[in-house]
Amino acid sequence: MDLDKYKKAWDNQPEETDTVSKVDIYKMAHSRSSSIVKWIFIIGILEFILLNSMYFFVDMDEANKEYEKIGLGKFVFYSQIIAYVILFYFLMKFYLNYKRISVTDSTKQLMAKIVKTRKTVKYYVLFNLSYLFIIAVAVAVATLKSHPEFTNEKTLVFIIITAIISLIMLVLLWLFYQLVYGILLRKLNKNYKELSKVDNLK
Amino acid sequence: MNKELENKFLSDFEANQNIVHKICRLYTTNQDAHNDLFQEVTIQLWKNYSKFRGEAKFSTWMYRVALNTAISLYRKSTRTVKTQDINDYTFKIKTVDYDETEELQLKALYNAIRKLNDIDKALIFLYLEDKPYKEISATLGISEVNARVKMNRAKEKLKKILNP
Repeated sequence: MDLDKYKKAWDNQPEETDTVSKVDIYKMAHSRSSSIVKWIFIIGILEFILLNSMYFFVDMDEANKEYEKIGLGKFVFYSQIIAYVILFYFLMKFYLNYKRISVTDSTKQLMAKIVKTRKTVKYYVLFNLSYLFIIAVAVAVATLKSHPEFTNEKTLVFIIITAIISLIMLVLLWLFYQLVYGILLRKLNKNYKELSKVDNLK
Repeated sequence: MNKELENKFLSDFEANQNIVHKICRLYTTNQDAHNDLFQEVTIQLWKNYSKFRGEAKFSTWMYRVALNTAISLYRKSTRTVKTQDINDYTFKIKTVDYDETEELQLKALYNAIRKLNDIDKALIFLYLEDKPYKEISATLGISEVNARVKMNRAKEKLKKILNP
C-alpha cells in the first residue's frame, strides 16, 4: 500500500475554520508561558533556596558552640565559605544554561540544552548531599574523639545510627528529586532517546 | 520591541497560522489542549521574533519553533478524552467542496499519525508538508542519512496503522 492517496487528502485538506485574529494573536503573544523550560527554571531556583534555607531552621549560634566544643569550629567555618562559593558557581551555571535554551535551535540541540540545565541542579543536589555527608562524618569522628570514655560497643552503635540517619536523608532527597523531574521530563527524555537512537544507527 | 515589527509579526503569523493549527491537531486530542499548545507556540514565536532576521522564510522558521514547542516544551494535560470527541474535534475544518472519500482518508490519516511517537509525528508531518530532507534533518538536528532511515521506518509504522 502506498501513502500517496493519503498524501493527496492531506494536500487538499481545508483550512482551519476557527482562525485566530490579529487581536487574539497579540493577546496570546503577551500572555505567560507555561513551558517545561520555565518550570525547570522555577523548580531549580526553589531547590537552591530550599537547600540553603535549611540553615535558618537551625540555631546557628547553638550549633557553632557545639562545633567549637568538639573542636570543629574552624573546619565548619571554612567549609561553609567554600560551600557558598560553590553554590554561586552552580547558580551562575544554572542561569547561563537556562539563558542558552533556544526554541529556534534544532529539536535535538534544544532537548540537549534542557537536559543540561536540569543536570546542573542535579549536581548541585549531589554536592549538597556530599557536603552534608562530610560534615556528618566530621562531627561523628570529632564527637568520638572528645568522648574517649566510649566503649567499643558504644562507638559501634553510634556509627551505625549516624550511617542510618544519613542514608535515610539521602534516599528521601533522591526520591523527591526523581519525582519532581520525573513528572516534568518523562516525555522529553523519551523523545531525546528516540532521536539519539537514530544517530546511533549509522 | 517596536510597533512596526509587532505589526509585521501579527500579519505574518495570521497568514501562516494554518501550519500551527495542523501541528496542534497532530499533537493534541481535544480543543482545550489545542488552544493551550497554540498559545504556547504563539508566545515562543513572539519571544524569538527579534532573533528572526529573515534569513529563512517566516513559514520555515515557524515550522521549527512550533514543532519544538510541541515536542519539547509543551506539557500534555493528563485529562482523558473520549474517541468521539477526537473525531469531532479534528474536523472542525471547512468541509465545503471537499471530496467525501478524501475526507474519510484525512480523518484516518490524522488518527493514525496521532498514534505515532512525537518524533515520528514530526517526521511524517514534514514529509506531508513536502519538506526536503535537508530541511528535515536541520529542523530535528540529525544527519540527512539518519533522517531518511528514520523516515522510512515512520512511514512503515504509519502504513501498518492505516492498513492493519
